[in-house]
Amino acid sequence: MLADLTHRFRALFRREAVERELDEELRLHLEHETGTRLAAGMPREEAARQARLAVGGFDQIKEAHRDARGVRAIESILQDLRYGARTLRHTPLFAVTSVMTLALSTAALATVLTLAHTLFVRRLPVPRAEEVVAVSGTRIRWNPDRVAVRDAERLRTLGPVSYPDYVSFRDRATTVTGLAAHYPTAPLFVSANGNVKEINGAVVSANFFRLLGLEPVSGRFFHDAEDRVPDRDRVAVISSNLWRSWFAASPGAIGSHVRINSVDFTVVGVASSEFVGTTPIPIEIYIPTMMLRVGYRWCDDALAADCAALQMIGRLAPGQTLASAAAELPTVMPEAWRHARAGENSGVAVTDLRGMSEDDNEPRLVAILAGVAILLLAVCCANLAGLSSAQSAARAGEFAVRLSLGAGPGRVVRQLATEWVMLGAAGGMAGVLLARAFTSLLAAAFFAADDEGHPLRYAFGQTPAIGWLTIGAALVAALVISVGPAISAVRRAAPGAATPRFTAPRRWTGAWLLGAQATAAVAMVALAALFAVSAQAMVSGGNYDGSHLALLRLRPRLLKYPPERAQRFQREVVERLAALPSVESVSLVGIGAVLDGGAAAIALPVWTAGQQARARFNEIGPRYFATLQTPIVSGREFDDTDLPRSPHVAIVNETLAARLWPDGRALGATLLVNATPHRIVGIVRDIRLGSRTAPSESWVYTPFWQNTEEIDSRLAIRIGGDPAAMLPALVREVNRVDRDVPISEPMTMPMRMAGLKRPVRIGAAFVGYAAALAVLLTGVGLFGTLSFAVARRTREIGIRMALGAARARIVGAIVRDGLVVVGSGAVAGIAAAVATTRVVRHLLYGSAAADWLYFVGAAALVVLVGLCACVVPARRAAGVEPIVALRCE
Amino acid sequence: MSESPKIDLPQGTLDLLILKSLALEPQHGWAISDRIQQISKDALRVQQGSLYPALHRLERKGWIKAEWGASENNRKAKFYALTRSGRKQLDAQAGAWRALAAAMALLLDAH
Repeated sequence: MLADLTHRFRALFRREAVERELDEELRLHLEHETGTRLAAGMPREEAARQARLAVGGFDQIKEAHRDARGVRAIESILQDLRYGARTLRHTPLFAVTSVMTLALSTAALATVLTLAHTLFVRRLPVPRAEEVVAVSGTRIRWNPDRVAVRDAERLRTLGPVSYPDYVSFRDRATTVTGLAAHYPTAPLFVSANGNVKEINGAVVSANFFRLLGLEPVSGRFFHDAEDRVPDRDRVAVISSNLWRSWFAASPGAIGSHVRINSVDFTVVGVASSEFVGTTPIPIEIYIPTMMLRVGYRWCDDALAADCAALQMIGRLAPGQTLASAAAELPTVMPEAWRHARAGENSGVAVTDLRGMSEDDNEPRLVAILAGVAILLLAVCCANLAGLSSAQSAARAGEFAVRLSLGAGPGRVVRQLATEWVMLGAAGGMAGVLLARAFTSLLAAAFFAADDEGHPLRYAFGQTPAIGWLTIGAALVAALVISVGPAISAVRRAAPGAATPRFTAPRRWTGAWLLGAQATAAVAMVALAALFAVSAQAMVSGGNYDGSHLALLRLRPRLLKYPPERAQRFQREVVERLAALPSVESVSLVGIGAVLDGGAAAIALPVWTAGQQARARFNEIGPRYFATLQTPIVSGREFDDTDLPRSPHVAIVNETLAARLWPDGRALGATLLVNATPHRIVGIVRDIRLGSRTAPSESWVYTPFWQNTEEIDSRLAIRIGGDPAAMLPALVREVNRVDRDVPISEPMTMPMRMAGLKRPVRIGAAFVGYAAALAVLLTGVGLFGTLSFAVARRTREIGIRMALGAARARIVGAIVRDGLVVVGSGAVAGIAAAVATTRVVRHLLYGSAAADWLYFVGAAALVVLVGLCACVVPARRAAGVEPIVALRCE
Repeated sequence: MSESPKIDLPQGTLDLLILKSLALEPQHGWAISDRIQQISKDALRVQQGSLYPALHRLERKGWIKAEWGASENNRKAKFYALTRSGRKQLDAQAGAWRALAAAMALLLDAH
């Protein structure tokens, strides 16, 4: 076996030495043969002749010998490679174009694969990550449409648990060990070393770091004893990032003091930069679960049994699986969970910790992007197949020579395939490199910040498997591209086949391929346009205009301000901001975010007790709809007269008005909102925030100032100019009112929408790229094919002209040829675009009324590009001189 | 020139003949063919066109190994020698041939 390998290896790589040795051996043999004949008394010349006869032809022996070396196949492949490299060197433009086309399309594929891997597959960067699982409570979500109970299970969602529940699971579970609790997205106002900032922190149990197998970069992690008594041990671990930026990576950071939400903590350690959390929002500071009351402000007592704030992670015990853990954990569920109401934990789920995706739309988005990438690769294949067949046809002479010199047809086909495989390998490798640039662009453009302006870290990484898969795809594409044209070219060049020059001018080959490219190009352009329009529609559309909105979030709750003080502060902020130059109007909301909100129970006074419905709900300040530019259908919006002592009023949207008062008498009617009667003073248009498939929602609004319990708020500020440029001035003005109140998330509505509806913008960018490439390729493909057809038909055109055909007719014929192909492709493209739009409408926003414009526009664009591609070949055809053309023969 | 009756070598026999002629001592290519010719009293003649490919095939199988040495007339020559596995192969193949030859003889001599 080894002898065989070394022998073959030598035959392959020391080919010349082996040949030389064989030569030597054969010469010696001949000498001996001559020698014996000389010894028998034969004359020298006769002896030499006889010996040569006896030995036979050297070359035949050598050839047989080469076969016996067992490297025939590899040797001829090497030969093909050398020959291919030489050919490609002679046609650099062709080679570069092909490699670039393959690189640009495979890069798109690799980018999607990297995206998919990061979002859905990759595990945490910790030792033995495959054992780490998340344990969550599950609850039946509040459901707006009051769907049937059997469907309610579908709406089961994962939820956090309370501290006592966590302890119960930790102490009773056996299939999952080392269960740790964490609240990974605590907004903490941290001041240290002269820096003050709202940063993302985590509240974690002391065993959290041990469970994940993490080591501190400096100092230590929490002791178990530091996580036993509520509010006692004020210790914190900071991230490497914070350590570098706030403490210049100094060892003095350990033992220093940081103020977190107005409580003093001591830094005991620095976490490594490798693991930055289980969510895309990196954790900058850690505090123990016993300090949860500092980090979690949404419950009166964050450590109480009724405050579900914590998530749990653990490691599967040896030999256990997700399934066995999922079977055990419900049996150790806290007793209270068995009598849970809707919205409370009533079950347990064990899930793999894989991927960073937090957006339900992302799987659909990635599937669409994968489809687009594959389509793009197909377009490139079609394009290059056209190039390949043109190139094969141009080399017909060369093939004929090789075939008549005895090369088998298979050998010639393989030669061509080898050239393409070389191009494919180069294209694939270039694609892998290009994809790295693409993913970092994607990360910087779309994954850098969330809708609240928090910095995100996805750390897109291309795995070797993705690299190989991409190169593999390029190689497969290369084979698909080359084998068909090569076979037909060889068949044409085979002795006895009709010489193409004398065949009647047929419709040029590749027309179908070009048409298909045009179809794909139209569909992609239309899709890209719809995504781009949707991205715009999210900022301003759906009966609101966010393009000039600045947003601020005021959080006096973090300073434990009582409601009166908080409201006094907010009232003054609104007045001062409204007085600033270039501020057009200011309003605020109490629940959720601007444009968004929570939910409320609503009822009509005539309904029986207990009968109620649900509607989306927010508490809004005066001038809210003016600030958003949402039209008031009838009545008025809230103003400065709607105060705590004045009658309770409400505004409903058109959907709710139509739902509850089909007779249209909503205005002036009474509606119970959370059991309090409100008189309806206004009806507004629906603010449509959801995608096209989302149903219209019922909304009810009540005045912010009529709720004396409100503490925090979010401001919406309409700016005359660029809202982003005004943000610093707005923050300064709020600080003038009260220096201490934390202002978080100063941002603009376009920025927020960018974070909120990421899939649409990614879709727009990615599909836009694919569409541009597809249109370009269609144009280039048509240009190449027509030019080639004109070149081949020079003689025919010459004869026609000699027979009196007008130049205009010749030009017309060429242009018609091109336009028929692109035009029919484009028409098919419109149909394809209509079909595609139906598939992606979950990701589209805004009205569908103008869609047809984009479809027709896309088709027109592609036809226009096709027309441009016809011009040069047509002019070349018109320039044919009959005499010259005929003399060419 | 006297032409002795020549027998075409049946498939697979050349390998055995080569192994056998190398059983005594290492030899170079020409000497192998010469020896086969001599011992078979010119009945078997090895075509050079098949000898050298066969030698390389056997080398690849690891049954013989090649080394450069000096020939009788002091020329550089490639000498082939039997390896351990080659010797085993020779024994096995020779046994098989003897059995086959005996059986053939029985069959052909039967009346």
